[in-house]
Amino acid sequence: MTAQALANDHRIIERYADQPAAMPPDLRSEIEARIQGESVLLYALADLDESLQLAETWLAVGTEQVAICKKGGRSIVIRTFARASVQAVRLEPGLSCNTLLVLGELGEPALARLRFTHRQRRAMENIHFLLEQALEGREVERVDPDVVYSDSVAAPVREAQALVAGNDMSVLFRLLSYLRPYRGKVAFGFFSAVVLTVLALIPPYLTGVLIDEVIGPVQAGTKTLAQVRSFAWWAVAAIAAAYAFRQLAAWARLRLMAILGEHVARDLRTELYEHLQHLSLSFYSRKKTGSLITRVTSDTDRLWDFLAFGFVDVSLAIIQLIGLAVVLTHLDLELGLVMTIPVPFLCLWVYFHGKQMNTLFLRAWRKWSRVTDVVSDTIPGMKVVKAFHQEDRERDRFNQRNFDVTEEFNRIHVVWTAFWPALMFAVRGMVVLVWVLALPRVLGDGETVATLTSGTFVSFLLYMVMFIQPIDIIGQMARIMNRATSSAHRIFEVLDTEPQVTDNSDAVTLEPIEGRVTFENVVFGYDGVRQVIKGISFDVKPGEMIGLVGPSGSGKTTVTNLLARFYDVTGGVVSIDGVDVRSLDTGHTRQQLGMVLQDPYLFHGSVMENIRYGLPDAGIEQVVEAAIAANAHDFLCKLPNGYETLVGERGHTLSGGERQRISIARAILHDPRILILDEATSSVDTETEHKIQGALDRLCAGRTVFAIAHRLSTLRRADRIFVVEDGKLVESGTHPELLAIEAGVYRKLYELQLEMHAPKAEFETIEGGKT
Amino acid sequence: MIQSNAENEDPETLLWLGEDGQLWTRHAGANTSVRPVRCFPWSEPGRYVSLRDVDDEEVALVRDVAALKPEARRALAQALLEAGFVMEIEAILSVEEEIEIRTFEVQTRQGKRTFQTLRDEWPRELSGGSLLVRDVAGDLYLLHDPASMDAKSRKLLFAFLD
Repeated sequence: MTAQALANDHRIIERYADQPAAMPPDLRSEIEARIQGESVLLYALADLDESLQLAETWLAVGTEQVAICKKGGRSIVIRTFARASVQAVRLEPGLSCNTLLVLGELGEPALARLRFTHRQRRAMENIHFLLEQALEGREVERVDPDVVYSDSVAAPVREAQALVAGNDMSVLFRLLSYLRPYRGKVAFGFFSAVVLTVLALIPPYLTGVLIDEVIGPVQAGTKTLAQVRSFAWWAVAAIAAAYAFRQLAAWARLRLMAILGEHVARDLRTELYEHLQHLSLSFYSRKKTGSLITRVTSDTDRLWDFLAFGFVDVSLAIIQLIGLAVVLTHLDLELGLVMTIPVPFLCLWVYFHGKQMNTLFLRAWRKWSRVTDVVSDTIPGMKVVKAFHQEDRERDRFNQRNFDVTEEFNRIHVVWTAFWPALMFAVRGMVVLVWVLALPRVLGDGETVATLTSGTFVSFLLYMVMFIQPIDIIGQMARIMNRATSSAHRIFEVLDTEPQVTDNSDAVTLEPIEGRVTFENVVFGYDGVRQVIKGISFDVKPGEMIGLVGPSGSGKTTVTNLLARFYDVTGGVVSIDGVDVRSLDTGHTRQQLGMVLQDPYLFHGSVMENIRYGLPDAGIEQVVEAAIAANAHDFLCKLPNGYETLVGERGHTLSGGERQRISIARAILHDPRILILDEATSSVDTETEHKIQGALDRLCAGRTVFAIAHRLSTLRRADRIFVVEDGKLVESGTHPELLAIEAGVYRKLYELQLEMHAPKAEFETIEGGKT
Repeated sequence: MIQSNAENEDPETLLWLGEDGQLWTRHAGANTSVRPVRCFPWSEPGRYVSLRDVDDEEVALVRDVAALKPEARRALAQALLEAGFVMEIEAILSVEEEIEIRTFEVQTRQGKRTFQTLRDEWPRELSGGSLLVRDVAGDLYLLHDPASMDAKSRKLLFAFLD
């Protein structure tokens, strides 16, 4: 684990869990002093006490001793016992209170009984594993207890959201840094936007001037038409020019920023997709596929929206409001203040309305999901609904939820439909107030002269309309920023994930690979200290076929995953042709490694494209030969467009056996030195299995093969069979050799399967005998 | 009434808390430590309690806890305190929406607690009007009577209540 990942785990624990990110150092040194200076191997927090109240009790395991440290206020009570006295360890799950029981002699009180919530479970499981392995006489690889503890406590939150949210400004700045390559254009776009805003302020001003300097004097007879004519036309021309330039600037800004936003979104998509290709498989097992797809598609699109419009709109709304306030107060201080002072309050009003709407939307969203739940439940399961004659109940269930959600949407409509007229009424109220204050000043009260010209007043009225849009935008600023930072955060979360399997700079290539595969005392765990592979060693000669057998979850697939270097071992060495796979060029090695999986994955495209997926330049002769060898040619000829038939997403138009034979053809064409068959025939019927088996036999010839199978009959051709159980290699040898082992695991499995496939008549007599 | 999976046992009296703090029963002629699991934790907590051994195999099924003899009932009740424990929310202090998660800060009967749920995971309504919230780690939080909570809690819960 990198220092960066550790720091991130610490941030997650500090922000989201009410507990320390590591055992307090003074406590740890006190514990280590109590256990005779042994260092703490692992520790965990038990956050519930005997009376099931939230509490802080630490469990620490040293090499010889176990310490339990109870913290209550300022008092610390430490109790220790020797690991040698431990006879059994139990981890009992509960709804929210799990119990770790450390037992001594039978009938004696437990050595320790610790209660903790699920949040602490992974950390406790690590200790449980360590103690249990010790009881079986095995040691667990040394790890840094701080790293393991913070990793396991942070994991549940981290798997839901990998980074701590909250620092929105830094996310925003990072997003804006993607504009850097286009800074000239961004500057020009911004300049256009500022011009646009400033130009909008000109026509109302000139209108006022026209009224005061032209219309008023001429109507009053103080000036003649001839005196003002040229000035009047100049003013009108200036208004026309302002409008024209304004639209020109609007065009430049929209076009520039829309295109630029698209470039940035493209850059992000490219970077994201490329990064996704490099990430290790462990990342994909943690994240939901759907969530990753939306990150590449809709999140980048949302960022386009923000960069093209939101970002500029918000900045401009602020500029526009300040501009308006300056111009208005400059024109007339009293009226200007009447207009500008309420503006911040109106913005706040829009903001709080937005918050209220958020809550309402959340409620509606929850109820909407209940409607979609019913629909997505019953439509695919319609056969069951009909078989049990539950149509009426399903209809009622849907109707109730449908009415419920409608009520919720109507509540939203009631709120927003009331809000906008109310907001407009407030703005109009300001207008009326301006009239009330301005009218006596425009007219004078008969004794005093007018202190406000009618032109200034009209300018005012025109400016007032311009307030509405920026108030709306500023009120929604929080929401716009929120949406953008969420999307940016989701994208950066992926970009900041580092691939766990990386090549050394001096990685070597084997040319060609012969196919010798060696495991030397290999140990591996997906997370924490729990090991899935507990010390496996074997040596497989080039061209040998190995059958991997064992109960599910025993570690068979993990062995092949380590061979393909989808993960790196935590201990020991996996080597190909005598070279550690970690020092090999992974890309080059995988080119000489083929895989046929239980559920073959076909890509959207033609059959031919799928067959030559690993070798895009293969000629059609090779494709057809591979298909013939894979027993696929015959059924391919029956397809409407032959080899050029489109197979649809994941190959859904074909049957399981057909997909499997295409994937075998793909492997044959790929011509790998080492081949992995993971349950290649387990999901098809017996007749299809027979056809696939024939294809597999041809595929396996002359290669090193690792075949995982549940049905032992498919492994008859294997040179040796490895039996894996609980992460260990328990038996290995040829089929007859393994059968010869009395009470052997393989023999038991074989007899069980023989019984299951016994002739029908025999089966019936057994059943008859029982009843 | 207990139905034991082993024949010829009279398990009715045979439930006791051992010195080690575990629940013990008699099964197949030997003493076995068991862990109780409620089949209907929310609607019928007193009926159908499965007693499971170290390998998580059922050794007996208690159909009705009330029908047990007093000492067996007391022992089972004690064991169920832990096995059936969930935190009980008394007040909601804050709810914060984030990108993928929602953070609740709550006062529970067991103390103050901050926890997170997925944003598209909603509190589950139990019969009787109480709410059950499940956090990302799998811990459960029970809210007995949302309507009787203080005004601030109710306001914060508005989006999650019907």
